[in-house]
Amino acid sequence: MQIDWLTVAAQIVNFLVLVWLLQRFLYRPITDAMARREERIESRLSEAKAAREEVEAEASRLREQQRALEDSREEVLGEARQEAAALRDRLEDDIREEMEARRATWQDHLQDEREAFAAQLQERAGRQVIEIVGRVLEDYVGSDLASQLAGTFADRLAGLEAEDRDKLKQAAAHAEGPARVQSSVALKTASRSQITRAIHETVAPEIEVEYAEDADLLVGVRLTIGEQTVDWSATRFLNRLETTLDEVIEGSGRHRPRPAPATD
Amino acid sequence: MDISPDAWVLYEWRGLQLNATIVFTWAVMAVLVLGSRAVTARLSEGETVSRWQVMLEVIVSAIRDQIAEVGADRPGRYLPFIGTLFLFIATANVLAVVPGYQPPTGSLSTTAALAICVLVAVPLFSIGERGIGGYLRTYVQPTPLMLPFNLVGEASRTIALAVRLYGNVMSGTVIVGILISVAPFFFPVVMQVLGLLTGLIQAYIFAILAMVYIGSASRSRRRTERPTDSPETTATGD
Repeated sequence: MQIDWLTVAAQIVNFLVLVWLLQRFLYRPITDAMARREERIESRLSEAKAAREEVEAEASRLREQQRALEDSREEVLGEARQEAAALRDRLEDDIREEMEARRATWQDHLQDEREAFAAQLQERAGRQVIEIVGRVLEDYVGSDLASQLAGTFADRLAGLEAEDRDKLKQAAAHAEGPARVQSSVALKTASRSQITRAIHETVAPEIEVEYAEDADLLVGVRLTIGEQTVDWSATRFLNRLETTLDEVIEGSGRHRPRPAPATD
Repeated sequence: MDISPDAWVLYEWRGLQLNATIVFTWAVMAVLVLGSRAVTARLSEGETVSRWQVMLEVIVSAIRDQIAEVGADRPGRYLPFIGTLFLFIATANVLAVVPGYQPPTGSLSTTAALAICVLVAVPLFSIGERGIGGYLRTYVQPTPLMLPFNLVGEASRTIALAVRLYGNVMSGTVIVGILISVAPFFFPVVMQVLGLLTGLIQAYIFAILAMVYIGSASRSRRRTERPTDSPETTATGD
């Protein structure tokens, strides 16, 4: 149990060598490795933090963008709705106008057709009536249609209403020219004198009477004194027939189907 | 019976004796250095770390934590010295389970050498920390009257360090030797197990005390500011 100083010196050296060796092979590598690992972890954490901040900034930016997009979308949609409404109104107006125009055209066309039809009908009916009347008159009255007309006219003149007769008398009193008698056919002297006599008896005894022919009357006689006119003619019947026909066509036209109405 | 491996001479050349203490010290050194080298040659700094590296990292960081706990501001500065004290003593004591091995710490020469290293290291670290003037001033504090006591304290604690370690380790060996003659089969095993525990505790005590001495010399000015923080109270009796 004694101290061997040589061994002590050797152990001191040994210990110092061991300190150096361990410092080189143990402490420094280990502490360096730990420090580097901590550094790496630190840098990774800071990287992750930075990335997260970046992502959050990006996310908030995107949210902002989305909100702006939604706002602008509402705006655009409102504008589009207004435009669509305006366009619809315009189109409706266009269609309505077009329909009105078509309807007017159709009405015009219908009117033309009706008038043409009426004219045609009138013409045919007139011809037919004239033919019939002519044939009847020929068959039953004989060939002297003119004298028959004159007789009939004289009878009618005699059978005038008191009011009408007064009017004629007044007209004759004020008339400057002669009384004018128009007939569809040329009247013979006897017929003329018969009519003249009838006028003198009924209207004015001294009035002059002049005779003329008018093919428009078809069949009949017309007396004109001043502004007053008395006639008995087929034309009057035909005019009355035309009026009747017009009424009939008007009534039937009202019941005809109209064109399809515009969108309403 | 040999109670000191100093007397076990393995080789002699021209009066220079190569005794077992030095040889076993080299063996311990070889174990430590080669083991460290084998692990640190393949250090990993990534996520996957080998278990040996983990073990070394745990040991090194535990030593650093202990140094920091004693109060050093920069544990890395004291790590090589204190850590080597602990690792050398611990390894030397734990290897006692190997048959035919005698711990070099059971030799007073080894413990004296370690204590002398501590004796020298205390002023060196203190001068490095505070300068020569600052170090010398610690001997005359709180009053110049304390100078002889401080000097005696310096010497006595060095001797105490050496004798404490030597006594504990040597006694373990001696007790085992005695018990072998009394109860040959059972008690030596128990005592060996106890010796392992004692060896680790002694390594810890030696290293911590060395750190306490160094720390107290390096920051005695701070100690005067906090008089209750006396490092001597951490020296456990044994």
